[in-house]
Amino acid sequence: MEAPQYVAARVQQALAEDGRTHELGIRVDIRGDQLFLRGQVSDAEQRRRLGEVAHEAAPELHVHNEIKVVEATAPGEDEHLD
Amino acid sequence: MSTLTDLRIAAVGDIHLSTDDRGRYRSKLDGIENRADVFMLAGDLTRHGTLEEGRAVADELRGLPIPVVAVLGNHDYHSDLQYEIASELRDAGVVVLNDDGVVVQCGDKKLGVVGGKGFGGGYAGKCASEFGEREIKNFVSHTRFIAESWKVALKEIVADHRVVLSHYSPIKETLEGEPHEIYPFLGSYLLAEAVDTAGADLILHGHAHKGTEKGMTPGGIRVRNVALPVLGRAYAVYCLDWPEELGIHPA
Ligand SMILES: [Fe+2]
Ligand SMILES: [Fe+2]
Repeated sequence: MEAPQYVAARVQQALAEDGRTHELGIRVDIRGDQLFLRGQVSDAEQRRRLGEVAHEAAPELHVHNEIKVVEATAPGEDEHLD
Repeated sequence: MSTLTDLRIAAVGDIHLSTDDRGRYRSKLDGIENRADVFMLAGDLTRHGTLEEGRAVADELRGLPIPVVAVLGNHDYHSDLQYEIASELRDAGVVVLNDDGVVVQCGDKKLGVVGGKGFGGGYAGKCASEFGEREIKNFVSHTRFIAESWKVALKEIVADHRVVLSHYSPIKETLEGEPHEIYPFLGSYLLAEAVDTAGADLILHGHAHKGTEKGMTPGGIRVRNVALPVLGRAYAVYCLDWPEELGIHPA
């Protein structure tokens, strides 16, 4: 059986290189037959695509998509540099 | 102590727009002219660096009421269309820096902006050097060439304030939160060394989505990581102030 570290590396590579996602900062952890995705993206559609690409890269594992969607809010307070 | 605000800089990086984001980002820029004198984008404007995405970004930025200065990021290079994307942006009125500088008139003040994509290599004591295989030498010399260009551009520019705009990070403090193993791919101290030598008021960068907003170069120049996921808001505003007590503004 392939070591889980190599499977995780392959999934992470797929998330970065697949044309649907190109997402570099997602953490992939594997425990037994469970795969966990963690990180932050700016929209729900990208989160969904990441789950899809991960599933295709490791179809034998159960994918838990724990990626957080963080929408940029209105600009906050100014910073004064003096 | 009271201060006069000379210049207000709105900045963000890593907006990573795709073609289905059309109109979504622009709405967040409503009223930006009341908050800032200039808008700066620190690269990774697209997701995959396609021409369609480049056009979508150009449309989002077209006709903003304040000057817009941008650099590209590694994502904008992914499809080998960086020059085409830059020219789409320029057609939309955006100044795109490519290891050179521009002077933007903001009210009665001249703001010099120098920069470009930047590149990696790591940080002093833990970095790649120009030794060994051709591939490693090319990697390091690309960063050296960029740093040298910025230094020259900064020295040549005549302005009231100087800001450096980059995609990659010049320091590691603003990478805090990223895995240490990937630091050499997130930036290079050569960029900070060049700016410390030539002098600037502020350095803006993106690229490190999980990094930290605030840091400083060894020479004491303020550095801000303005990657959208770091800011968590549409853009940050930095005010370059000059203490009123000191009277006349330095040239
Ligand atoms: Fe990015
Ligand atoms: Fe980047």
